[in-house]
Amino acid sequence: MPRAGMREALGAPALAMAATFLAFGAAVQAAGVGLGWALAASLLVYGMPGQMVLLAAIGTPGGALAAVPGAVAANARFVPMAVALAPWLGGGRGRWLALPFIAVTPWAMAMRRLPALPARARLPWFLGFALTSWGVAGLSTAGGHALAPLLPLWVLAALLFVNPLYFGLIIASEARAPFVRRAVLLGALATPLALLLPPAIALLGAGLAGGTLAFLWGRRAGG
Amino acid sequence: MQADDLALALLVLACAGMRGAGLLVAGRLAPDHPFVRWAASVSLATLAAFVTLAVVAPTGALALIPLAGRLMGLGAALAVLAWRGGLLAPLLAGLAGTLLGSVLG
Repeated sequence: MPRAGMREALGAPALAMAATFLAFGAAVQAAGVGLGWALAASLLVYGMPGQMVLLAAIGTPGGALAAVPGAVAANARFVPMAVALAPWLGGGRGRWLALPFIAVTPWAMAMRRLPALPARARLPWFLGFALTSWGVAGLSTAGGHALAPLLPLWVLAALLFVNPLYFGLIIASEARAPFVRRAVLLGALATPLALLLPPAIALLGAGLAGGTLAFLWGRRAGG
Repeated sequence: MQADDLALALLVLACAGMRGAGLLVAGRLAPDHPFVRWAASVSLATLAAFVTLAVVAPTGALALIPLAGRLMGLGAALAVLAWRGGLLAPLLAGLAGTLLGSVLG
């Protein structure tokens, strides 16, 4: 079953991961920071908004240390994602193997696939998918760092846009389920809130507002 | 250890802590537990807000793509998704639409 997850990770998810982490690796190189830092950020943080917040702070007067709280807040979506994912990984200690890989891409695909799998196949599927995606992220970061001088800014921008396109496709393909449709609709409608909040908590604030309203709507609707 | 490395180490620890807290709290809950459903709803809404922001009001390098490119990219991706399903073909169509829209826009 890990192979099924690995195979699935090598399609559209790999393209989305590769494009995003390639652009990150190039941005790190452009900031004059070494490959070791880039790889540690991609493989150990493994959450692009927080990585970008930290990178943007390097060389500024406050420095990267001052940006840590903002970077943590930018990745705070890990908490609700881990909560939503945990019950599908089983109650045993094995679920802790998934800890480093809880990020948007593995989470989104796992929430599509795991409910349909037998209980004992879920964790292996997730680990197969997540390890493959993680490997793609590392290789792409290194590739971006090496290729940075050859990549014009508009190519980097287009590569970064692959990521929201991919997530848009995932939520659109799942939007037939009323639960998903409500959360997506209210999350999109809550987006103006993100423009009013401090950048580090903007997305999470919109997600909390939209997601909580969608949850309450679902309770009223009985589904 | 330099300040940039220390900052990265602190972020790594914080992210592991957030993931671990979620796994710890919900590991023994059923998938249809209200708390788990709420967390899934918040995660999906956050994802929807992320996509909406990236298309309508992007910042950083994404803002270099003209609005026409972003809209054509998303439109092409969703059109191919509705036409033939899957994810890879719609994603490639979206990337092509983004580049085309950027040139035309």
